[in-house]
Amino acid sequence: MGLILLDSLPLHRIPCYGLKINMSRNSIKILPGALVCEESKLRGDITIGSGTIVHPRASIIAEAGPIIIGEYCLIEEQVRIVHRLPFDQRNKENSTPVLLIGSHNVFEVDCNVESPKIGSNNVFEAKCFVGNRVTVSDGCIIGAGCRLTEEQTLKDKMIIYGSRCQMREGLDKPQPQTLQIETLTKMLPNYHHIKKSNKKN
Amino acid sequence: MSYIITPDIVRYACTCGLLKPISNLYFCRYCTQLRCSFCVCHEVDTNFCGKCSENIPSSEARVKKNRCGNCYICPCCEQELSTRIASTKTLSDTEDTKTTPKKMYYLSCQFCRWSSRDVGIPDQSTVTGGWPERENVHANQLQELVDMYKAIVLAQKQQQEKDKKKQRGKYLSYTDRTGVTAAALRKRIGLPAELTHPLLRSKPKEPEPAVAKTEVEKLPIELFTEPINLMDITTVDQRLLQPEAQPTTVDKLFPVHKQLSIKRTLRCKSCEHNVSKPEYNPSSVKFKIQLFAYYHIPEVRIVTVEPLRAGQSCELILKFTNPSQHQTTITILELNLEQQEVEEAEVAPSFDNMENLSLQEKQQMSLPSMLSQPSSLMSMSTRSPTITVKPRKISENVNCDVDVPSSTFILPPRDDAAEYDDSGDTHNIQDDTKLVKWRKSNKAYVKLNVTPKEDLGLNSDVVCGFTMQHVYTNTITGQMDKKEPQKYDHKVKVFLHLGKLVGSE
Ligand SMILES: [Zn+2]
Ligand SMILES: [Zn+2]
Ligand SMILES: [Zn+2]
Ligand SMILES: [Zn+2]
Repeated sequence: MGLILLDSLPLHRIPCYGLKINMSRNSIKILPGALVCEESKLRGDITIGSGTIVHPRASIIAEAGPIIIGEYCLIEEQVRIVHRLPFDQRNKENSTPVLLIGSHNVFEVDCNVESPKIGSNNVFEAKCFVGNRVTVSDGCIIGAGCRLTEEQTLKDKMIIYGSRCQMREGLDKPQPQTLQIETLTKMLPNYHHIKKSNKKN
Repeated sequence: MSYIITPDIVRYACTCGLLKPISNLYFCRYCTQLRCSFCVCHEVDTNFCGKCSENIPSSEARVKKNRCGNCYICPCCEQELSTRIASTKTLSDTEDTKTTPKKMYYLSCQFCRWSSRDVGIPDQSTVTGGWPERENVHANQLQELVDMYKAIVLAQKQQQEKDKKKQRGKYLSYTDRTGVTAAALRKRIGLPAELTHPLLRSKPKEPEPAVAKTEVEKLPIELFTEPINLMDITTVDQRLLQPEAQPTTVDKLFPVHKQLSIKRTLRCKSCEHNVSKPEYNPSSVKFKIQLFAYYHIPEVRIVTVEPLRAGQSCELILKFTNPSQHQTTITILELNLEQQEVEEAEVAPSFDNMENLSLQEKQQMSLPSMLSQPSSLMSMSTRSPTITVKPRKISENVNCDVDVPSSTFILPPRDDAAEYDDSGDTHNIQDDTKLVKWRKSNKAYVKLNVTPKEDLGLNSDVVCGFTMQHVYTNTITGQMDKKEPQKYDHKVKVFLHLGKLVGSE
């Protein structure tokens, strides 16, 4: 138990984000039941909860500290989840912050999320951008192409939509994508190499 | 296809004097003239709903206030609402389990996730809904006003007709001949002089006018004390989407019927022929008639341009493409804006006199020849022009001279199969190698020398222009007993934005 998988990819494949990060050691923990495709890009200390699906070409980069992803999250192609602190919060000598991502979150194709804290049941629609000063609570929907950069905390069930990032409060939380996750769990292993889970419950 | 969206680098002068990219121009084959959206008649062809693709006759569309009866848009973000099936879980909870669970439907917006449940509209049992329509509180007053104005219009019409009758019988009237007017006669026999129209006398009752009040309700104190929750308040856009209700809070946002779209017929103002007519079927994007300039006028594109320096000649490579099925010869002529105005001024009066011309003259003019007469006159159809559009002055600041080449060049007809033909071109065209640099099928790459004006400042936009004369083959037959396709020399003024001026080396 506690087996740590060291990513054996050559260093030049690590993306250069122009920052000095200690990424020599990748510590990826994949809990049983999670489905992580081999072609996904995982950097740093990452824990992936059971039932979560990480598509090929998705990248999760734990730059500033560990990332812990909850259960039944759906992380689609070209998604970038980056744990990166704002400039003014860097180089502080206190403990390393952990990016906690709750359960049942959906990260749609090509979204870019740098949020320091993400609750549960959120949907990040295609090509949206959430900056590293935006805290996301539960049941929020960030609409396709919306860019949130200003410092703010999204209250529960907030819906951001449209080119001007209009906001409205939803009635219910978005439905969890259980059917989609079920289908993908069956389909993905047929066509992709899957990273083995390396943690026991 | 980038020329559709890029800024208008190459623009053509329409007959009316406006400059447009070729994709926005039409070409009337009957007048052999360019037309643009400003110089054609726009007519509504069909009304249809863009969501359910249903054609709606114009009379019905008017009754429905140009909205679709079945489709709704989101009151929150104005996207189309889709009907969704509600989960039947709640029904199975009821004790009466024997009845089959009924499918319920609600409206939902895929974009902002608004749903008809947000405002408490009950789910419906049918797909099409029968969604509750909200009564307009001012409906009665509006109807009264409409009725009144309708009656006034009717009365006015009848009055006009009566006036006409009066005029017609002016000199037959006995009183008029004797100089005794009806009013005078009436006065003499002791009746009121003014005889008001019977319909005007029985004027429809006017609705009660609005009364101004001095006492108004005070603003609720909460308005100043309570913090407002922006999530509950509607935006200006949302209020104006429903002008009759103008909801101020989000709980009063109700689905709005989708506005109908139209298909347009475009008609040449000079000869009344259609230049664009869409197919009737709303789901079809094809046209019955599409006289787009793109299919008739050679297209000019900039391939390369040397760095532009004031007063220095630089090389410009243009690509000419022949879109038509007929060979054409292109001559580049000098752009002479002043002379062109004189020419057009000469044309205009004779254009107006067309109706008075004898048949003989008309036939003379229609002789298939390449005379110096303006092509617009030769191709005149038998129909008389309805509206003559006076061309406006072309407003383009041309600040670059073009060396007009002495020779012309030929563009072979378009051949769709040529794309797949690797055997090379078989046209055997003798080209002036100084002018034509390279050619392939119906395209030719032509070198021109341009010289920006001496006094141009750095970074100023360099614009050059020339007149492109091409041979246009008109294939309309049966008109004026023409059997053979007619060939015309058609001239178009082309303007090119070459880019910014750079400094000297
Ligand atoms: Zn025009
Ligand atoms: Zn419809
Ligand atoms: Zn909406
Ligand atoms: Zn015409």
